[in-house]
Amino acid sequence: MEFKLPDLGEGITEAEVLKWMVKEGDQVAEDQPLVEVMTDKVNVQIPSPRSGMVSKIMAKEGDIAKVGMTILVIDEEGGGSLAPAPPSQMVPVPPVEAPQPMMVQPQPQGTPGMVIATPATRKLARELSVDISSVAGTGPQGRVSDEDVKRASGLHFQTAAVAPAAQAPMATMQPQAPSHQAPAATVQSPPAPQPAPSVYSGREELVPLRGLRKIIAERMVKSQSTAAQVTHVDEVDVTELVMLREALKVTAEKRGVHLTYLPFIVKSLVPALREFPYLNASLDEQSGNIVLKKYYNIGIATDTEQGLMVPVIKDADTKDIFELAKEIDKLSEKARNGTLTLDEVRGSTFTITNVGAIGGLFATPIINYPEVAILGLHKIAKRPFVRDGKLEIRDGTYLSLTFDHRVADGAYAARFTTRLIETLQDTRKLLAAVL
Amino acid sequence: MDEAQVAVIGGGPGGYVCAIRAGQLGLNTVLIESDRVGGECLNYGCIPSKSLITVSKLLDKVREADRFGLKTTAAYVDFAQMQKWKSEVVSRLVSGVEAILRGNHVQVIKGEAQVMARDRIVVTTATGTRDVSAKNIVLATGTRTSSLPGLENDGNLVIGSKEALELTYAPRRLLVVGGGAIGLEFACMYQKLGSAITIVEIMDQLMPGSDPELVRVVARKLESRGAHIHLRSKVAALIKEGGIVTVDIQAPEGRSRAAFEKVLVSVGRKPRTEKLNLQELGVRTDERGFIIIDKKMQTNVPGVYAIGDITGPPLLAHKASKQGIVAAEVIAGRPSAADWKVIPDAVFCDPEIATVGMTETQARAAGYSVKRSRFQFAALGRALSTGEPEGFVKIVSKADDGLVLGVQIVGPEASNLISEVALAIEMGATVEDIALTMHPHPSLPEAIMEAAESAAGSPIHQLKT
Repeated sequence: MEFKLPDLGEGITEAEVLKWMVKEGDQVAEDQPLVEVMTDKVNVQIPSPRSGMVSKIMAKEGDIAKVGMTILVIDEEGGGSLAPAPPSQMVPVPPVEAPQPMMVQPQPQGTPGMVIATPATRKLARELSVDISSVAGTGPQGRVSDEDVKRASGLHFQTAAVAPAAQAPMATMQPQAPSHQAPAATVQSPPAPQPAPSVYSGREELVPLRGLRKIIAERMVKSQSTAAQVTHVDEVDVTELVMLREALKVTAEKRGVHLTYLPFIVKSLVPALREFPYLNASLDEQSGNIVLKKYYNIGIATDTEQGLMVPVIKDADTKDIFELAKEIDKLSEKARNGTLTLDEVRGSTFTITNVGAIGGLFATPIINYPEVAILGLHKIAKRPFVRDGKLEIRDGTYLSLTFDHRVADGAYAARFTTRLIETLQDTRKLLAAVL
Repeated sequence: MDEAQVAVIGGGPGGYVCAIRAGQLGLNTVLIESDRVGGECLNYGCIPSKSLITVSKLLDKVREADRFGLKTTAAYVDFAQMQKWKSEVVSRLVSGVEAILRGNHVQVIKGEAQVMARDRIVVTTATGTRDVSAKNIVLATGTRTSSLPGLENDGNLVIGSKEALELTYAPRRLLVVGGGAIGLEFACMYQKLGSAITIVEIMDQLMPGSDPELVRVVARKLESRGAHIHLRSKVAALIKEGGIVTVDIQAPEGRSRAAFEKVLVSVGRKPRTEKLNLQELGVRTDERGFIIIDKKMQTNVPGVYAIGDITGPPLLAHKASKQGIVAAEVIAGRPSAADWKVIPDAVFCDPEIATVGMTETQARAAGYSVKRSRFQFAALGRALSTGEPEGFVKIVSKADDGLVLGVQIVGPEASNLISEVALAIEMGATVEDIALTMHPHPSLPEAIMEAAESAAGSPIHQLKT
């Protein structure tokens, strides 16, 4: 049977093959993990639907597989797995498998499945071992472009910058060959180092854009090219918050919870978002609607060795501060271990990014597409504040709110930030929000 | 024993192109040809026939030119000189092909190949036999003319297309048995050279299977010049006597008798596979003896490939050549395959017929919602100014998005016009793409643009119907 990349969840159309856990010729049992793939920032292990022998692996590690694409062929037990081909001097050879007669004139290409692609694109598909009839074309009338074929082959990002090294000696400065010239060898070779493009002198190190880095790259560009992003920055006196956290830390530790500032921020955020619903929203361009979310799923941008991950606290409004602390702890732990499930990284409605522990004054965070806003938290430090006409040293920090100006205006964002600040600097309001 | 990575049997437009490509790809290649390279196409088909057709058209044009104000004293054809010129054209092309084969290090063996095993061939040459061992064999032996019982080729009175190209005079009365592409080309040509033409066709139209609207234009022109066309008819009896052939024609309306100087039999072609040992090799063929191949030109026997006419209709040189390239590339390990969408076809009758892709009927049968649009050459400046206003361009496109599915052309230079639309179909163009592409004025391809404009709903030189 041909094993196709299964549907991995709503909206997921492709996944990167991270690691094969079987090899060709292996016997596999039903439910035995076959392959680990990476989708939208999480890794998923896909089990075998049948027992049998792995006869062919169709996707290399590092390839991007589309949902529905055959990635593996399993010869089922008892199903006619063929003996090795007979030696070549045996004549005559019994007809093993009759090739389909071709050239039946006329050749209607089948009404629904007609592939629209230029001959050169069709050739590219053959060279990249892509079944062009299974490629969803992005052009008019479903026209399949070179890019579509490359994407389907998993060569999308790699080939774009790679000139065919075999044909372009390093010495000759050759204009970047169009990537449809990518030699078949590129496909066959292991995914690790790509041949060096001739435009580099050799004193550079080329790191293939892959995995999480590639996903981040794509998402950031998607966000930047979609939303009209403006960042609003304000200062907040968090002296009372610092004190409150100190006070609650003990209680938290008794419950086995490490209490950071984040749960306080989340708790303060929810009522503000409730009051300013356009920042807990997304813009559905297709239907022309602004979608106001009546639930509060807060994404927490988390720094990991592989790169940025954003686990999500679901229904933050229903959880108390200790539950939030516990959950944030657990999620960031899983993010660092790379064990987040798909469900734990999807569905956020607003995102917080916190680089305070590292340093910096403020930043201009990029919105976590397709949300409308993201809040940047920064270093809390002793700062001069003027209170009642007197200079005082207090705990202060900055808040950076990036918002989508298509959906909300500057005054709206400023009012939201002000509301958030009012909560954060006033213990009574904080307590009301937190408890 | 000669050893090769590829042995191509048959040096026609399939085989020689395959050998050249194999040579280019660095494969040690042997080409075995019993006659001259270039095959039927170059030596006995396309090239010589088009040379003669050119002369016949020119003669016709000169005679007709009187009404354009071009006055000549009686123009006539010197057959000997015409044949000499034709042979020169052929020889020049043959030696060109030989040079390219040499230049690509293809070893050409002149002789008759007999396949002994899937990797062994014995070639009978003028001087003896040679053994060739090859990892891959490409079968490209083509087809030969079929004959009908009672109408066997005698090389003199009853002839085939090969002999029809060598005549030293125009027969006063010529019977063409079989109104397919080849029969029609000869009928139109010899009619212009002075023969009285009779055509006998067993089916209910000339060029059976093609769009009847196209054929009608050609049939009308033949008949307007005195040809007798008998459809649903056959030769019931034939008597050769005193250098004359007397033929009984059985037509639906009754039996008639007529005398002819020559009878040209053009009733199709059959695969030349006798020496290929197909049965012992286990190579599968269809019920008519054509070899079954896949998109990589592979037969069911590993290492044995087949290309061109022996793989079945359409029997076209350009198809064979493309198949030859695919076979060579596949043998060289390239990811090559026959994935063309369409195979254009051209018939050099008068006016010419050229087609590509689906006819209206085929498109409907394939389930498309179809739009058809036509443009008559009679409304085109260039066609009128060359004195060839017969025929039309017909475009079959998808009704919803205008994707071009097929084009049929009957008219001046149809064979040259068809490539534009073949490209359009391969590229997935719509009628609007063609309509929006500027075509030089005045020129014949404007007819394609006009038909496309009509399909796109905005014709300029045509009233909307």
